[in-house]
Amino acid sequence: MNSMIHVENLTKEFKSYSSRSGLKGAFRDLLTRNYKIHRAVDSISLDVKPGEMIGYIGENGAGKSTTIKMLTGILTPTSGEVLINGMNPHKEREKFVKTIGVVFGQRSQLWWDIAVQESFRLLKKVYNVSEEDYNSHMAMVIEALDIAPLLDKPVRKLSLGQRMRCELAAALIHNPPLLFLDEPTIGLDVLVKLKIREFLKELNKQYNTTVMLTTHDLSDIEALCERVVMLDEGKIIYDGSLSQLKTSWGEGKQIQFHFKTPKTRDELIRSTCQQLVVWEPGENENTWTANVTNDEDIISQVIGEVVANHQILDLKILETSTEEIIRNIYEEGIIHG
Amino acid sequence: MSHLSIFVQYVGQYMKTRLTYRSDMVVEIMSDLLFQAVNLIFILVVFGHTNLLSGWSKDEIIFIYGFFLVPFALFSTFFNIWDFNERYIVKGELDRILTRPIHSLFQVILERMELESMFGVVTGLAVMFYAGSNLGLTISWYDPLLFLLFVLGGAFVYAGIFISLATISFWSDSRTDIMPMMYNIGNFGRYPVDIYNQIIRYVLTWILPFAFVGVYPAAFFLDKTEWYGYAYLTPVMGIFFFSLSIFLWNIGVTKYRGAGS
Repeated sequence: MNSMIHVENLTKEFKSYSSRSGLKGAFRDLLTRNYKIHRAVDSISLDVKPGEMIGYIGENGAGKSTTIKMLTGILTPTSGEVLINGMNPHKEREKFVKTIGVVFGQRSQLWWDIAVQESFRLLKKVYNVSEEDYNSHMAMVIEALDIAPLLDKPVRKLSLGQRMRCELAAALIHNPPLLFLDEPTIGLDVLVKLKIREFLKELNKQYNTTVMLTTHDLSDIEALCERVVMLDEGKIIYDGSLSQLKTSWGEGKQIQFHFKTPKTRDELIRSTCQQLVVWEPGENENTWTANVTNDEDIISQVIGEVVANHQILDLKILETSTEEIIRNIYEEGIIHG
Repeated sequence: MSHLSIFVQYVGQYMKTRLTYRSDMVVEIMSDLLFQAVNLIFILVVFGHTNLLSGWSKDEIIFIYGFFLVPFALFSTFFNIWDFNERYIVKGELDRILTRPIHSLFQVILERMELESMFGVVTGLAVMFYAGSNLGLTISWYDPLLFLLFVLGGAFVYAGIFISLATISFWSDSRTDIMPMMYNIGNFGRYPVDIYNQIIRYVLTWILPFAFVGVYPAAFFLDKTEWYGYAYLTPVMGIFFFSLSIFLWNIGVTKYRGAGS
């Protein structure tokens, strides 16, 4: 088997109890409780090859973090099989975590009060990294992330962007072949985001590091990942390339017209009756959007007909963004995917 | 050995942070000293009304208190994880711990240690020497060795009980007030157990064996031969309760549910 991550029928259930209503209910709760079993992750299967960068996306509460936590050995799965790097994260936790790096965007790995380089030193000891390995590897990381001027500052004095770059460096001290990033760019400005993306690409190229990334910022995924796995209510609803997702879902284009005078839907439909167009009202009566299929002939015909019949001030052609595609999938479910 | 070198690294870092907040450290040591003084005054007040307590004299009780301070100082230095539930379970800090290649309990201990509590060893020894010289106790060559063994045993008893309590958080993360209560029960071990009734005595010996942190081992140095059996049991109880707590911890970690997000 040459997959980096091998997951089969992985399931995690959480037991929570629901309270009954009213005072009488509260007393009944004392005696017998109603337990509800909630499946956060529902028998997912996944294989990731070494060197792949995969984006793991889903709404809040879809089970992304729970999956990552099971893959990193933090949570014990209810059932199913996980094999990462040929190891079971729960049976050999201490040996296993030496082969992974983890960054949680919302949580700090570094010691708050001590200088960044002291944190690095401590982690170097914790991971038992030799001086030579550390120097040769971290020189590149520090250079690429541009954190050399931050090393002697205590973590609490760093800005979020500076801290995040240091967090990333800290997760790589032992040069792990597999890196988990849970919302690493949350709250960061564009420049820091770009820097982190550049760095991850570089890392992937130089060390063939496998990266699994969860994020709400789809531009991260567009910039880094060829493969996306989409999760909804604990189940994988899409696993494939990002471009495939775009072509099968983002078929349509939108043409936005700004007319000189107010228009009604009927008027517009009459003027474009030969084409398959769905008109949507815009901000005011003067703006309308035409949804058409992504076909150059149709687009130009629609524009021609509209312009011939109505006076326009402005027009824009919009492609459906990944963001919209994903939103559509969540709203409509994956019916014709 | 790698555990030892990691320990040394953590201690080094700890010193560095502590030295940047020097005034905090002084305040902490002072409040510890004040706390110990109040306890001592309490004993003196009690003996202002009586000369003997179930056959124990004032200096003997002070000696027991002095002994108690030593294992208690070790416990407070390394195993004082009373805020484990709040800090590691509710806030989810255990996530971070679990992604590092060292035993999780060992890491928690390294992060929560408070080295200034070690000062209690000094006060404890001072109190013991004061009471001991009043009593005219002599020191044999094996006394320091047994003292070390009993102190470690006592500290492990304390650690075992508090770690076991901390593991409850793995199953239920609701806050409980059990920790402060346990501190109060722990204080019972500072007094001769024969002043309590049978049930409390049994509990302090076998269920929450705080008596092994104070009165039993101290009785050995006070030459109370009738308690020697219990005194020798101290290291055994320490190892047993500490092992039990590690066993519970290891099961508990697999039940960890993580914090939301």
